[in-house]
Amino acid sequence: MEYHPLPQPDEIEVRVREDAMGAYFMMFATAAMGLPLPILNLVAAVIYFYVNRDKGRFVQFHTLQSLYSQIPVTLLNSGLVVWTIVNFAKDYDFTSYYWGYLVMTATAGLIYFIFSLVGAVKARKGIFYYFVFFGKVAYHQVYRIRPEHGTSAPKNRPPDY
Amino acid sequence: MQRSILKDLLILLGMFGLIWLAASLFSYPENPQLLSIEKEERLGEVYVDLILLNPIFRELENERVDSAVRMIGKRLEEGLGHSEYNYRFVVFENEMINAFTVPGGNILISSGLIGFCDSPEELASVIAHEMGHVEERHVVSRLIKELGIDILTSGNQYVMGEVTGLLTSTSFDRKQEEEADQFAAELLEHSSIEPRTLASFFRKLEEELDNELMKHFEIVSTHPNFRSRIRKALSYVPGDDFEALPIDLDWEGIRAGL
Repeated sequence: MEYHPLPQPDEIEVRVREDAMGAYFMMFATAAMGLPLPILNLVAAVIYFYVNRDKGRFVQFHTLQSLYSQIPVTLLNSGLVVWTIVNFAKDYDFTSYYWGYLVMTATAGLIYFIFSLVGAVKARKGIFYYFVFFGKVAYHQVYRIRPEHGTSAPKNRPPDY
Repeated sequence: MQRSILKDLLILLGMFGLIWLAASLFSYPENPQLLSIEKEERLGEVYVDLILLNPIFRELENERVDSAVRMIGKRLEEGLGHSEYNYRFVVFENEMINAFTVPGGNILISSGLIGFCDSPEELASVIAHEMGHVEERHVVSRLIKELGIDILTSGNQYVMGEVTGLLTSTSFDRKQEEEADQFAAELLEHSSIEPRTLASFFRKLEEELDNELMKHFEIVSTHPNFRSRIRKALSYVPGDDFEALPIDLDWEGIRAGL
């Protein structure tokens, strides 16, 4: 399977970079607003993707990567909210599995936060930054359309497989 | 490409599955707040019934004693003001000098303790101490610490037997005993009962520490530190407007009827 060439930092306009960076920062804003209904973050992420889908593959890639990585975090957070509410409403016990789930969700949230922060900084610099799994999925989806080769000695490269 | 993506996905799922598993196996300090008062009261009802089924803790059928204990309890509850618990005081027939707390605001008092107290105020000081354990949720904390919240609320008959044993041979740590002492002193003051009665009662207990009849009494379970508890109880100074009102009971008559 062949992929579109990746643009190098000097080929990407500042406005495009900022739009790409916005995909990550927008998540933080909606995450803060969405609590305790984390599903709102996902809705906002989808809207952001559709609004920015015509701004080129660089923006699309970062927006999709941010959106995809948001999905499991949102699902985990939603699960935690539901589990907590059910426990209180039904007077169920807070079992060790609940606390384990809470720790896992917090870990996922922290990793997501760190990766998003790095992703935003890299996007602003016009650099590709691949999250584990989500980066490959986003790259595959955005750049797989037709095979082309990049310029000599490219700075941006596809992820290592 | 697809295989590489699938591999990443499996790594992610495995990693987070392991985090969940490892974090679930970790032993968390369990918080009594996680057991609601309502659930604690339901548990308490079950355990009081179980304890009273045991011939050693057979409920005393003596209207005069019941009425006296209810009167003392009511005075303390009025002094307490708001409480999330509906207190229940049960006297059981046993010469042992003992009183203990069962979850849900149940306080069980032996007839031996009533006979040992020289005044209703002394009994009030013991009950106030036990109410301190209730309000501070020491019993639930200890049960959760010993058994874990899952086991405690399981309703398993073997667990219930274990819990009953723990409740009737309760011992708290030094900090919890001191918290209950402090609570008792304040409650006695608010109930217009001389708070230092607690100290004089402790001193009486100290003189009897070798008495086999009080070997299960939780108040004396921290006896290596008993002197400091007496000092603290003695150093409690009630407010300037404090006025002790005697508990109007024919105490000698009540003791004689035991």
